[in-house]
Amino acid sequence: MKKIIALLLVLVLTLGCFAACKKADKPETPATEATPEPPSTEPDKTVVTIVVAGTFGDRSFYDSSKEGGERLAKDFTGLDVKFVECNNENHTVRMQNAAAQSNIVVCVGWEFYDIETVAPEFPDVKFIWIDNETSAPVPNVLNIVYAQNEGSFLAGYIAAAMSKTGTVGAVGGEDSITINDFIVGYKQGAAYFNEATKVEINYTNDYDDPAKGKDCAKVLHDRGADVIFQIASKAGDGVFEAAQEGSFYAIGVDSDQKYINDAVIICSMKKEVGKSIYDAISKIVGGDASQLGTTWVADMSNGYVGIGYGEEGATQQIPDEIKAQVEEIRAKIVSGEIKVDTTRN
Amino acid sequence: MNENTWNFWTVASSTLNQMLRSATPVALAALGGLMTEHAGIMNIGMDGMILMGAFTAAAVSTALASAALGIVASIIFGILVGLFFALFTVKLRSDEFIIGCALNTFALGITVYLSRTLFDSAGISNAPHLHNIAIPLIKDIPFLGSVISGHSLFVYMTWALVALMWLFVYRTPLGFWIRASGESPETLRTAGKNPERMKWIASILCGVFCGLAGAHLSLGNLNGQFGQRMVAGRGYIAFACVIFGGANPVKVFLAALMFGFFDAIGLQLQSSKLVDADLTSAIPYVITIIMMVYVVVSGQRRRERIAKQQLKKLELK
Repeated sequence: MKKIIALLLVLVLTLGCFAACKKADKPETPATEATPEPPSTEPDKTVVTIVVAGTFGDRSFYDSSKEGGERLAKDFTGLDVKFVECNNENHTVRMQNAAAQSNIVVCVGWEFYDIETVAPEFPDVKFIWIDNETSAPVPNVLNIVYAQNEGSFLAGYIAAAMSKTGTVGAVGGEDSITINDFIVGYKQGAAYFNEATKVEINYTNDYDDPAKGKDCAKVLHDRGADVIFQIASKAGDGVFEAAQEGSFYAIGVDSDQKYINDAVIICSMKKEVGKSIYDAISKIVGGDASQLGTTWVADMSNGYVGIGYGEEGATQQIPDEIKAQVEEIRAKIVSGEIKVDTTRN
Repeated sequence: MNENTWNFWTVASSTLNQMLRSATPVALAALGGLMTEHAGIMNIGMDGMILMGAFTAAAVSTALASAALGIVASIIFGILVGLFFALFTVKLRSDEFIIGCALNTFALGITVYLSRTLFDSAGISNAPHLHNIAIPLIKDIPFLGSVISGHSLFVYMTWALVALMWLFVYRTPLGFWIRASGESPETLRTAGKNPERMKWIASILCGVFCGLAGAHLSLGNLNGQFGQRMVAGRGYIAFACVIFGGANPVKVFLAALMFGFFDAIGLQLQSSKLVDADLTSAIPYVITIIMMVYVVVSGQRRRERIAKQQLKKLELK
């Protein structure tokens, strides 16, 4: 019996090897037939690899970058857009592998600190780092950071205006600079509506466990918050569930998340990651590489952060007058009349 | 509600309510883990078993549009995982630790692979799920109602399962044989029972309970969601609870409740801004380590005491 099992296992393994070899063969043969050179050295096809720190399917930050990449592939025939997921590990290796095979590498996530050492190894490759910046300018790295504090200011204003208890909440992913940038803006916005608004905060310390997000939101609700802003990626999905069970409102983050639960998500603080990637790359493809080596703050004035109220036909809980006020405040932030606090340096 | 009306009772009910919710998936998995522990198998693969259960439940529930079928599927799949685990640990006598690790890694990969193939996404959401139960009468009792009522079916089912499990382990012949298969397999063999068969049964039961724990995570605790890292180490905490509770179902359940309690208290502390968030999320794990140290030290003390008593007896003679 044992021998048979052992034999079977060996058989599976060998077959697996064959299958793997076959798979590796397959794309190679047509590739050599269709294109005489490997893609990376081919002059008229620019390879763009989008490396995300986590995984797609968060219906927020990473999915937004994917949407931007897909749009690029559709609009520019000369672009070959690839996607790599790091699954929260081996960021550096995945980034290096991507750099070895592409012309433009987009690193999506604050975790890619090693870009400062990797980028100089590949001087011909253009890097774009999303959501963080290098400590000193690197000539072939474009950092894109977002003025999430400005968008969160509006979210805070809406939350305070929609709250009946005078207490609003925010569930953060972790106590870090980027997340706290949302929170300072949110607090300031809530106070702008009414100085007396109480803002309750807690952190999930986990971006993948929705149960944790749900617990956090329930605790904030028990503390009186009736509008809760989620800033915790996939873990934040739990906030929407808690909102539905506890009949209170929630505010989405990064993407326009209203479609996830129309009844409780009143609006979303949009961080247009996909749009910024699209715009940055189309600029580079267009021949303008002047942005490389700098940090670009994608802010409200050029529409990279803002509030989304869902697609047409979505239930609207926010009255039009509040939306009008939000629009006025937005103009004031853009003009510089309102200065929003930030945790970024 | 502002700072003035926010009082001890609201915090207490909020904490205890969350304690029951946090403890349930851990307790369910630990009920399975104590079976393998009794059978003398060190099972660290519970994390993976839970994840596969969570995925099966969410996937089948989505495909067949029925939460009940999702739960049944997670139980059936749990049996299969249990068989798989027993095949390697019992039949082929490979290292339990390695198989456990392999199971955890395998689960991370296979669930996302299947999810991508079947649903074209790394996660599942909006699967049909269980609704929370408001218990009539009890829900109107001021403090108790807000703590006990309004949980998912699994929370209440776990309480019943703890009692049933205790009866099974300590009051039925089969439970006795399973314990013997771990403590003294040769004695069991002399008594005419096959210890290997007992280990198979224990392993299957473990798979079933971990499957249920997974189904609870995706369909009971959450409203039909699956994500690759949603188990978040609960399988390991369950293992710690099994050790701490000495594989006694009631004590294991209390250990799970304790874990839930510290999880809940941590969240309350950081929400009150009394303690830093980074610190509070570590509380359950720090407690786990303290628990382990306690178990080891008290075990040693007991052995020393027994040894001294034996010595005294000898001296008296």
